[in-house]
Amino acid sequence: MPARLDAPMKVTGDAKYAMDHNFPGMAYGYVVVSTIAHGEIESMDVTATKSAPGVLEVYSPFDPLALGPVSTPMFGETWVPLRDKEVTYAGQPIGFVVAETFEQARDAAMLVGVSYRELPALTSLVDGLDTAVAMAPGHVDEPPELTVLEEGVSSIEEAFAASAVVVDATYRTAAQNHVPMEPHSAVAVWEAGELTVYSGNQGAHLPALELSMALGLEPSAVRVVNPFVGGAFGGKGQTSAPAFLAAAASRRLGRPVKASLTREQVFTATAGRAATVQQITLGADRDGTLIALRHDSWCSTDIAGSFIEPTSHGTSRKWYATRNLAISQKIVPLHLPPTTYMRAPGEAPGSFALESAMDELAEALGMDPIELRRRNNSLAPPGRDLPWSSKHLDECFRIGADRFGWAGRTPGGRADGDWLVGMGVAVAMFPAQRFPASVGITLNADGTVDVQTGGADPGTGLLTVLSLVGAESLDIAADRIRPRIGDSALPPGGMSAGSTATASAGTAIMAGAAQVIGELLTLAASPGAPFAGEEVTYADGRVHGQGHTMTFGEVLRATGRPGLTAVGSSAPGEEMTKRSFSSFGAQFVEVRVHRLTREARVSRMLGVFDGGRIINHQTARNQLMGGMIWGVSAALHEGFEIGVGEVRGRVANADLAGYLIPVNADIPDIDVHFVEYPDTLHNDLGARGLGEIGTVGVAAAVANAIHNATGIRVRHIPIRIEDLLA
Amino acid sequence: MRPFELAAPATVGEATGSTGTFLAGGTTLVDLMKLNVVTPHRVLDINGLPLHGIDTGDGLRIGALERMADIAAHPGVYPVISRALLLSASQQLRNMASIGGNLMQRTRCTYFRDVSMPCNRREPGSGCPATTGTNRMHAVFGTSGSCVATHASDVAVALAALDAEVRLAGPDGERTVRLTDFYRTPAGSPEIEHDLRQGELITEIVVPRLDWAGRSTYVKVRDRQSYEFALCSAAVAMDVRDGIVADVRVAAGGVATVPWRLPSVEAALRGRPATEESFAVAAALATDGAKPLADNAFKLSLLPRTIVRALLEVTERSR
Repeated sequence: MPARLDAPMKVTGDAKYAMDHNFPGMAYGYVVVSTIAHGEIESMDVTATKSAPGVLEVYSPFDPLALGPVSTPMFGETWVPLRDKEVTYAGQPIGFVVAETFEQARDAAMLVGVSYRELPALTSLVDGLDTAVAMAPGHVDEPPELTVLEEGVSSIEEAFAASAVVVDATYRTAAQNHVPMEPHSAVAVWEAGELTVYSGNQGAHLPALELSMALGLEPSAVRVVNPFVGGAFGGKGQTSAPAFLAAAASRRLGRPVKASLTREQVFTATAGRAATVQQITLGADRDGTLIALRHDSWCSTDIAGSFIEPTSHGTSRKWYATRNLAISQKIVPLHLPPTTYMRAPGEAPGSFALESAMDELAEALGMDPIELRRRNNSLAPPGRDLPWSSKHLDECFRIGADRFGWAGRTPGGRADGDWLVGMGVAVAMFPAQRFPASVGITLNADGTVDVQTGGADPGTGLLTVLSLVGAESLDIAADRIRPRIGDSALPPGGMSAGSTATASAGTAIMAGAAQVIGELLTLAASPGAPFAGEEVTYADGRVHGQGHTMTFGEVLRATGRPGLTAVGSSAPGEEMTKRSFSSFGAQFVEVRVHRLTREARVSRMLGVFDGGRIINHQTARNQLMGGMIWGVSAALHEGFEIGVGEVRGRVANADLAGYLIPVNADIPDIDVHFVEYPDTLHNDLGARGLGEIGTVGVAAAVANAIHNATGIRVRHIPIRIEDLLA
Repeated sequence: MRPFELAAPATVGEATGSTGTFLAGGTTLVDLMKLNVVTPHRVLDINGLPLHGIDTGDGLRIGALERMADIAAHPGVYPVISRALLLSASQQLRNMASIGGNLMQRTRCTYFRDVSMPCNRREPGSGCPATTGTNRMHAVFGTSGSCVATHASDVAVALAALDAEVRLAGPDGERTVRLTDFYRTPAGSPEIEHDLRQGELITEIVVPRLDWAGRSTYVKVRDRQSYEFALCSAAVAMDVRDGIVADVRVAAGGVATVPWRLPSVEAALRGRPATEESFAVAAALATDGAKPLADNAFKLSLLPRTIVRALLEVTERSR
């Protein structure tokens, strides 16, 4: 069995992604987007478009598709296109041209004329700081402003006044987009009052539900299929504009409709990561003990304020054993593309600020940065009587320092020819969570087992995990498991989000396996069955009775049963009231900066992670490497450029030529190492999440390494050449 | 993209006698057609024309349809040219893109490439949002109030340093133009980018013989290690004798609306010691007359550093 079950199909082109689905009579849709940031569409001239070759229909707010509002408990409101004439960002979907071919739809879409009543656009986060509004992050169960003070201390200011050393700095991080390789897209097929939508997502049940709401259908009338997903990273949780438009147009036209955003449109017509400003103040004793930590955060959000990037709540709230803590979160609604979850939402930009600040404190104290973190190791989040279930961060640093040669680091860095070389570290943490998940397990008479769930594998390795955990739970070889995912007709399998899928689906498999084994044993010992009246046990894929055994397949055949199915479910439970749960990691980065031209290039990276039990070392390593590369990207390359002098508030670099991500030549060999302590207090499988923690801390480690190499402290990302020319 | 007519002329005469937009490797033209920036009614595929060959017998002669990858890999090509080519684009693009097309590539200015925005180069008289907008990648030399777009080619900078010429064929016959005269700074007419008359086609690139051009290099400073345009680049060839600069050529990229030759820097280097100190003194002259914008003033610091680095690399290689 390959280390990743879907790899052979993906590298040979056999894997069928959403857009690879074609149907007789299929039409093609092309999304038209706004060219202003704020205003109202006064009119849309579609005369030329409608008469262009092959055009079937042009939909717009003036000739809308029947689409209603969508709201779900977890994500709140999901934006549905063409429902009004209001434009709140440049690049917003405002029209949909459907034609016989993709090229005809695209060419005709270029002919749409739009008149706007343009209004002033707010596009600067910095300009909005003074009028920012306190707001609690939606998925964090705490108030926007929170203070934890030790007994006898009346304010955080008092705690700073009592600190021997205080560092205070403001950090900024750029807005980003996930830019998955597979653009947001859908193929919709409407047949006999039922809709099937093929569309990459992070779990088929949410888009199925959202589409049924938008179209006014019973949930059972909508099926969403996504066996393969070309990257998601948080940006394919909610239903995308092309899916809503293709589905509604398919219903209207009575034909299958395929629609995809272009690469350029992905940057604006989806949601990305907020820009942030964060002020951190740290107060410590001379020995490095934290006395007070203050972390005030501001983030950009869309004009509706629909998502909040929880940088303080996601990091400083929990990371260190400070005696006093004050955090706050404010939002600045802007006329920019919407924001949403993006790999380590909160933790990624938050850790840049916090872990840079810790490096600044270490420098102020003249202390080794690892030693400073060791001294402030938290046993539980401050003010909460819920100790970490299983924390081995010190061991991560110990192993990492040894593997990386940290002892060779000198405070002023070193020179290697024309290159200045520095090392930096940072802590990585990401909460261990689970979503409610169900997995169907079917023992088949031919000796195989189906393990099926509606969850998604957007490159994470979930498909393979289903096989491995299924095999272990049923005590059979993994190649006898036939895993299936990505279909809302299967049991709801949670989402590939929040680094939860392995722990959620894995424990559901364990539960389902126990159930199906119980049913198998009952069947085997039932009257007329091969083990009638015997004491039976299950092991090695077999039923064991008194002096004889049979495989489960033989039992099923002997009893005339084609298969035996159980649906196992799991959900977060009582454990949440007893412990705090998180994955941990230590990030090490070496950076080289040219002494003259000041390019900063990462030359070595190591991450040592405590993620509980590792189910599949290769896919786990792959996830963490990918996350670490994201961290390099955030540190040195990636970010929306929004012209402050521009009235139109457009993203100036909305393509992959202008929005830089690292190329292979920017990424060195990456060393990933695990300390493996199963966390069975969190879940029976002992596995915690790994999908997001890889990116946490890396940007700070890069910035800290640059400081070590050059003496220059850059407090914003991405860090570019002009920041290092001093 | 708009529907267009495609023709494939069989001879240079047929090509220059036809109306239409020339298509060679297509790496710029097709890209811009997809963005609706360029909407030709007729496209002339010139890939069948006999404009091939790399001749290193006396100087260097390169057929305009030679691909960037093939020129870069040719052993007789001066290092500054092959390095400039290898640091351009990606291998896939270099396999497709012709040298003639490279010289004709359009600017990467994001306003030029976005038809929803004004751009004097694309729509004369519509305005230049880059002067006050996002302009980190933009030019500091050769600019005007109507356009500040950077010329994107790397190899054009190397060729400018070596006094290269382009041979042009047109309806009225052939002529030869020095590359540095071929390109036009925008002044009040940014839509006119070069000295190419109606129907004219680049047929050949000619680099005069320069015996010490083997001691040359191209340094490109950019935001990532590969596949990105220059913030600053320097093309340098230098003849060092007994530790003294006997002769030198210096041109800069990423900083100007055209490939930017730096005669004042060359003059300040000639007859001076080949040391970092004297390189730095001469390179400081590179920024004379620069007009920085809000986001790109750092280029005034980066350019001299880039030139010094290139000069040091050539000195190192000369030892």
